[in-house]
Amino acid sequence: MSARRVVLSLAIVLTLFVSLATPQSKEVVIGIIYPLSGPAALTGLENKVADEIARDIANGAVDVPLPFYQRLKGMPGLKGAKVRMIFADHQGKPEVGQAEAERLVTQEKVHALEGSWHSSVTATVSQIAERYGIPHVNGQSSSPGLTKRGFKWFFRTSPHDEHFTQTMFDFFRDFQKKRGITLKTVGITYEDTLFGADSGKVQRELAKKYGYEAVVDLQYRARATSLQAEIQRLKAANPDVWMPTSYHSDAILFVRQSKELDYNPKMIMAQNAGHQSPDFLQAVGKDAEGTMSRAPFNTDLIEKRPAARAIAKIYKERTGKDFYDNPARTFTGMMTLLDAINRAGSTDPEAIRKALVATNIPGDQLVMTWDGITFDETGQNIHVKGIIVQLQGQKWYTVYPFDIATKDVLYPIPAWKDRK
Amino acid sequence: MGFVYALVAAGLSLIFGLMELVNFAHGEFLMIAMYVAFFGWSLGGIDPVLGAPLGAVALAALGWATYHGVIRHILSGPMLAQIFATFGLAVFLRNMAHFVWGVDFRTVQDPWLSGRVSLGGVFVGLPQISASVAAFGAFLALYLFLSRTETGLALTATAQDRQAASLMGIDTERMFALGWAIGGACVGVAGALVAMFFYIYPDVGGTFALLAYVTVALGGFGNVPGTLAAGVVVGLVEALAGLLIPPAFKYSVVFLLYLAVVLWRPQGLFGRF
Amino acid sequence: MKRALAAIVVLAVLAFPLVFARPFPRHVMIMIFLYGALATAWNVLAGYCGQISLGHAVYFGIGAYTSTLLIREAALTPWLGMPAGAALAVLVSQVIGYPVFRLRGHYFAIATIGVGEIVQTLFINWDWAGGARGLFVPIKRPDSLLNLQFHESKAVYYYIALGLLALALGVTHWLERSRRGYVFRAIREDQDAAASVGVHVAREKHVAIAVSAALTALGGTFWAQYVLFIDPESVFPLSLSILISLVAVLGGVGSLWGPVLGAAILVPLSEGTRVLLGGTGKALDLVIYGALIMLIAVFQPSGVIGLARRFRRDRRQATGAAQASSA
Repeated sequence: MSARRVVLSLAIVLTLFVSLATPQSKEVVIGIIYPLSGPAALTGLENKVADEIARDIANGAVDVPLPFYQRLKGMPGLKGAKVRMIFADHQGKPEVGQAEAERLVTQEKVHALEGSWHSSVTATVSQIAERYGIPHVNGQSSSPGLTKRGFKWFFRTSPHDEHFTQTMFDFFRDFQKKRGITLKTVGITYEDTLFGADSGKVQRELAKKYGYEAVVDLQYRARATSLQAEIQRLKAANPDVWMPTSYHSDAILFVRQSKELDYNPKMIMAQNAGHQSPDFLQAVGKDAEGTMSRAPFNTDLIEKRPAARAIAKIYKERTGKDFYDNPARTFTGMMTLLDAINRAGSTDPEAIRKALVATNIPGDQLVMTWDGITFDETGQNIHVKGIIVQLQGQKWYTVYPFDIATKDVLYPIPAWKDRK
Repeated sequence: MGFVYALVAAGLSLIFGLMELVNFAHGEFLMIAMYVAFFGWSLGGIDPVLGAPLGAVALAALGWATYHGVIRHILSGPMLAQIFATFGLAVFLRNMAHFVWGVDFRTVQDPWLSGRVSLGGVFVGLPQISASVAAFGAFLALYLFLSRTETGLALTATAQDRQAASLMGIDTERMFALGWAIGGACVGVAGALVAMFFYIYPDVGGTFALLAYVTVALGGFGNVPGTLAAGVVVGLVEALAGLLIPPAFKYSVVFLLYLAVVLWRPQGLFGRF
Repeated sequence: MKRALAAIVVLAVLAFPLVFARPFPRHVMIMIFLYGALATAWNVLAGYCGQISLGHAVYFGIGAYTSTLLIREAALTPWLGMPAGAALAVLVSQVIGYPVFRLRGHYFAIATIGVGEIVQTLFINWDWAGGARGLFVPIKRPDSLLNLQFHESKAVYYYIALGLLALALGVTHWLERSRRGYVFRAIREDQDAAASVGVHVAREKHVAIAVSAALTALGGTFWAQYVLFIDPESVFPLSLSILISLVAVLGGVGSLWGPVLGAAILVPLSEGTRVLLGGTGKALDLVIYGALIMLIAVFQPSGVIGLARRFRRDRRQATGAAQASSA
């Protein structure tokens, strides 16, 4: 009995080692590393669907009637090679992401990497890509430092925190001018992982630069069971604008406890992420009326953008959820990569890298509201453009830039006692 | 929050007192209780206030099953094996929840009790207050059960001296199973109460469980009234620390307090050994 | 016979990188060595001295941060950062040890968890040390032993990790046979009895944690050089502390080879289930992982090494008995 158990466990270990190698040919293989378990698993799973839509477009299974997507259909550059995606789970841990990246590159022989949502994991994954000379496209991570490392193989299609935060302060300036009001003080709160720390730092610097006083500047534990102390402080200092940077769970908690503690911020300007997830809307949508957030994309722009309309429909069919910023950014990153591979006409890493450098996708073909996609020498897309959205009647509306806005800004946010 | 911490910790404390075993899956029990409350609400339209008994029954069953499926086999084993059996259970339950229910954040919308009241100028959410009251009530019930009923006394006797109790004709095996069931019921009620004002997802148990361990150790392992007092202390310290120093450190202060207390009384505030 | 077997194992381990050129099998082996070394270090305190710490990530993180900060701020080679980290970890362990060693059993375990959480929070909020953003180890090229960075091949990492494990095992082996080893075990069995026969219990515990912390910190430095990025979430978490002890418990505590055996089973298991099932996003890999831990704890509480011992005993009895016996 016991002997059999030993043999069995040995057999399992051996099979694991053997089953790791499966060479492929006549395929484009893309390794994708996301958090597929743990607290951020939800985001990883949503991004996975977005990637699969991109794959199906390239493989001709899904039709999008726009020239950019038509050109990609069936990957003509590689004479109809099929795109295959291998998904790996990094569990939110940088070292796991690193190990998975290395495994994907050396054993699964992927031709390119995409991922990995958490900026800290993207950091270690891109080190592997750089070491092995494999193109790595990132569509989600917003830590500014990622494109400041002098890497040759790392490309980011999405804006980073400095772009986003700049948009917020641009909005403050234009909004004050438009409404003839003054905003003087800001309250900055941010969760204590890389994302929050980066965002908090940029907000503090920009607030100083533009002459706003940060009357609250708090880092808090992302997994806190209660945020009452944090809210009490905000309430006491009562800044003109409250700028939270939160993931899902803490964003929800903030709203619920603000209501309980009767904290009435006049303006809330969130740094995307948690505040923009559909779960946030579902959980506390009614109570979060008037919350603003930076965003690279918003659902109400879908109707105006043919590409977005087409993809949103497919996404809804596959997930039953509304298409929103995160999958939209991932999708854009993946299409950029597929486009480069198609233009390279080969799966040779250097050819793909050269094609990525030469990327020039016009803005009207994109899901996003950007002016297009072109990378600078650091690998950052220079045509990014942030927008500001606001939650009104449990829906996000674009409110800035004013020329593409679909609603006026609701200001100030009604106090709790004035709501029904 | 203190009473809620105390109720979460009570089940842990009871189980420990009974068999000197820390259940590291306690946070996951809480998570499952919250899911029970949530599904009671979303599928059956049962408000969490009424769902609390439901949670208690479900978790009592889980506790009972855990005892018979896992714990019974490791009672005589080393402390480490016990730690890791329950730790394995924790990983298993958490990811099972992920597997079965997915990772979406769920919240109970518009519970009966919502809004807030002002206590001397400090606003406190009504769900929290009612949760505290309910937790206190549940606690009282537990205490009366342990000290006034025959079964409760048998349970206490078993906790104090396993061998003597079995010599007195108490079926210790049954008492252990009962202890797990009651411990489960406590956390079942706590889960339903927490679900009123907290979101629910598979990893939700972690921080609560960590605070529960500190609460139990602070009050003295196995001492149920001590757990109540410790729970209140932890809740207060967390709230006050958040106001006085950077809130990022508020849990550190709770842990520091624990260290300070055990430095002075290595058996916790009310521990008996 | 036994010596021959040992020689074969040693040779096989040494030759492994020559046979397997792919990074992933090497990575798995490196992780086995690293976790084996960490669990062996933990075993000194917990297995021999009976003090079950669930806060060893503190020393691991100190090792990682010390060497990395020394590289960044003073351009010091990690080979010097490594002993510096170990020295600092020893110092911290003595400070931590002062209050926590007064506690016993679960009170001690929970106190170590508390200390671990406090230290993690401190690092998250410590801007100079990168705060929550973490630190990159500056990438140096070309590969060199001096910089302890190897981008071309994992072979050198492999042998360094193996060396760490050998060091940890050597220290443990020496301890096991020394007088001090007996004193440790006496404390584990009954510290009051040990004190009554003149053992300076507090001092001995401090020695045990110093050895344990130093070895753990070495692992931390290695980790920083291997991953080249550290942040409080990855080097100070409670889950790491628990994983270290889990490895040791799985293999068998209080024995020389137990922790290594535990690493040799747990690391391929967790990497394997993740590789095979992780991509589905259903967390099935962790469900299986949790269930296995539970099963092992229930059916083999003394760890896998107990299984091996029993197996050997069974065989001996079987061969000693009449030929009629069948397996």
